[in-house]
Amino acid sequence: MHRLKITFRVIAFTVFGLFLHYVLPQHDVVKITSTEIIRTDFSGFNRIFYAQADSGAVEQPTRDLRLINTDKKKTFLLGFMPRDKTEVMVYRNEDTGWIWPPYFKFDSSDLQAESASVARGDSWAVITHYGWRVRWASIYPNAIAVKLVDSPDVRVIPWFNIFFFGFLIVGIAFLRAMWMQFRERSIDPLIDSAEDRFDEASADIAEQKGRVTRWLGTWKKKS
Amino acid sequence: MGFVRLVVFGFVGLSILYLCISVYSRSVRREKLEKAWDEENVGSDDLAARNAYVEKGIAAYNNSFRPKLIGLVYVIPTVIVMVIVYTTNTN
Repeated sequence: MHRLKITFRVIAFTVFGLFLHYVLPQHDVVKITSTEIIRTDFSGFNRIFYAQADSGAVEQPTRDLRLINTDKKKTFLLGFMPRDKTEVMVYRNEDTGWIWPPYFKFDSSDLQAESASVARGDSWAVITHYGWRVRWASIYPNAIAVKLVDSPDVRVIPWFNIFFFGFLIVGIAFLRAMWMQFRERSIDPLIDSAEDRFDEASADIAEQKGRVTRWLGTWKKKS
Repeated sequence: MGFVRLVVFGFVGLSILYLCISVYSRSVRREKLEKAWDEENVGSDDLAARNAYVEKGIAAYNNSFRPKLIGLVYVIPTVIVMVIVYTTNTN
């Protein structure tokens, strides 16, 4: 039972961590090499890893997808430890629209123009993105913003994530406090009164039993 | 359409949060009042007076500014969304 509990917790924690890793913004130091547009036919599997059609446009089974091709600086530890090596990375560039994930991005075309302009030069840029590159399922991370930087050794401070995790911890503590209060004030008294009633009822039964036994006892031979 | 969905679901979700927080806040206040009474009247068994004291305190709380602050539950997410919309879409 204990082992089952631990397994369940580890799985839940891993899923939650992966979810956050997919959805939260990350920063990559890249050299944009080109931009392109390909037509995409989504499968049932990889459809959920794409956003919807540009906000304001209608959804069709097939549509064009903006891509940004880059050379990316490799890193260790989710981007915290930069390395000298580079690798190829391709980002998609889609509107997230109003709903999910809540980046409220409507400026894909502008971002594509910006990337194209950066691609003409030879300068480094920081791409903010969310999502994963999964080659065997043709899944790309979604670029959110492009910012020019002077050198590839920039230190990007993930302000959003810092605030997000701070807020998450505060929120969980608050929910916990709310739940404890609810239990202490609303559930425990109910249980207590139910227990009291149960005790009273069983005391009654015991008393009645006592009476019956006493009555039966009067029939016994007195010796 | 997406915008309408965001507004509707956001409103419903935030209303649930609002209700939970107001119930929680009132419950904490009630507990505090009860404890204050018990501390001042150790050994007293006057339940009517205790209830009157607590109800008066709750009424004062309801009329104060504090419960209105819970309305920020609607304001802050709206402001955050507006800030994100602005920062994401300017270049």
